[in-house]
Amino acid sequence: MTYITVNRISKKFKRRDQITEALRDVGIEIEQGTFVSLIGPSGCGKSTLLRIIGGLETADDGDIRVGGVTPIEAQSDKQFGFVPQAPALFPWRTVIENMRLPFEVNRKGGRQTPEQSEEAKELLRSVGLGEFLDAYPKELSGGMQQRVGIVRAFASGAPILLMDEPFSALDEITREMIRYQLVEIWEKHKKTVVFVTHSIREAVFLSDKIVVMSNRPGRISEIVDVDLPRPRSHELEETSEYQRYVHHIKGLLRERWEQ
Amino acid sequence: MSSTENAMENRVSASPRGKAVPRVKLGKLFGSEGNWSHYIQPALAFIVLFGTWELVVRIFNVNPLTLPAPSGVLKVLFSDFGFYLEHAGVTLKEAVIGFSVGTFVALIGGVLMSHSRFLERTLLPIAVLASVTPIVAIAPLLIIWFGFGALPKIIIAAIITFFPMLVNSITGFRSIDQNNYEYLRSLHANKLEIFLKLRLPNSLPYLFSASKTCISLSVIGAVVAEWSGSDKGLGNLIQMFSNYMQMEKMFAAILMLAVMGIVLTTLVRFIEQRALYWHSSTNKRNG
Repeated sequence: MTYITVNRISKKFKRRDQITEALRDVGIEIEQGTFVSLIGPSGCGKSTLLRIIGGLETADDGDIRVGGVTPIEAQSDKQFGFVPQAPALFPWRTVIENMRLPFEVNRKGGRQTPEQSEEAKELLRSVGLGEFLDAYPKELSGGMQQRVGIVRAFASGAPILLMDEPFSALDEITREMIRYQLVEIWEKHKKTVVFVTHSIREAVFLSDKIVVMSNRPGRISEIVDVDLPRPRSHELEETSEYQRYVHHIKGLLRERWEQ
Repeated sequence: MSSTENAMENRVSASPRGKAVPRVKLGKLFGSEGNWSHYIQPALAFIVLFGTWELVVRIFNVNPLTLPAPSGVLKVLFSDFGFYLEHAGVTLKEAVIGFSVGTFVALIGGVLMSHSRFLERTLLPIAVLASVTPIVAIAPLLIIWFGFGALPKIIIAAIITFFPMLVNSITGFRSIDQNNYEYLRSLHANKLEIFLKLRLPNSLPYLFSASKTCISLSVIGAVVAEWSGSDKGLGNLIQMFSNYMQMEKMFAAILMLAVMGIVLTTLVRFIEQRALYWHSSTNKRNG
């Protein structure tokens, strides 16, 4: 079932007298319970597209439906679990208090009650943070903080998770580890995920569908269905099917770049 | 062989664990590392300062009208301690009420101005005007308007507190982490929720930093206002004793003011340590 429909949207940014065309005629359909990645060079508007879906920005033209309603309506119904680039943890709250945050605001939109904190604790344990429930963010490493941010989105009861380059601030080793943890959690919970990334390998490893974008103006150059078996683990990255997808997307990005 | 064993044993018994226990306890008591040299060193400095002062007055036989000996000052102070305490209470009340009022008004102003550039552009110049006008110049005016009672002193203490608190609250309310802000927006949090969950806690380090200066400024404000016209308070005493050249009594009143300043700033620091447990400025254990 198609859950998110983006129909021919455009977006321009005006800064002083300079106009940047961030998105032109972009349309995608996202099925419920699928993992979709947006990939492309910097400035291709992939983050903007994510933010428009999440109701954090509005499109100039076109139409977006999230479960049949507008992004703002979906937002007020707390349909989104947002994971920004840097972990948006509140420093004066402990890990578990940060997990509770999505339930404390916009109460009329929340059908869930904080009884779910058992689920929150379970999720934290599954990413190795079971002993840090009462720790403050300053006591955690960057990778641990971002894991809390991701797990919080899963535990918030939101059906759609919007991740805006959540691993970009992490080192390579941490990044890889969290990628495996994310795929494990996702395969258990099967939420609808829109995932913005720079990393081709990451996109292929995680996604059901990859939206390859090009820049100036931001447009979709191809949508690739990733037909790799699940559950996925690090062994998948050694297989030739996986490599073929990586090469294919690399080719698409290079093609655009050479033009 | 046995000597190495001994060395090992020594090392084990001198492990940091054994020492850590009393340390943690002291840290909890005093809200800091609990290192005794932190308290002994300042105490020694004071003893040396006042000891030298005492010796200089005695050895050179300094005229008490110029500089009384600390022992004389303490004798005068404790011979009539209730009297000094009563006047200190008056000044303390003026300063603390003034500080609270000034802080309260500054927070309201900070909320309004951090949410609206229009209000900031209209109201901030007025606040600047109030802050650059010397308090000494405003005090006599307020005495004429409001009399010799506590009110003009409270107003002066409030004015002197207001501006630093205002500027810091605006900064604190505004300088929020963009990721945290967007996260709340993605949950459709309203402005009040964003204020209570994000802006207000975010401003606390700024507000405490301003409080540490303002609390002693408010005492200055109260004393200056008392000079302009009053019948009570330490400022009133200092002026009176100065007119009669009663140096020891005057020093006793000054000492009371100094102690009041130390107690108030220490109190603010203490509350800050408790309130900002999460902030890097109070992060002593993890360095």
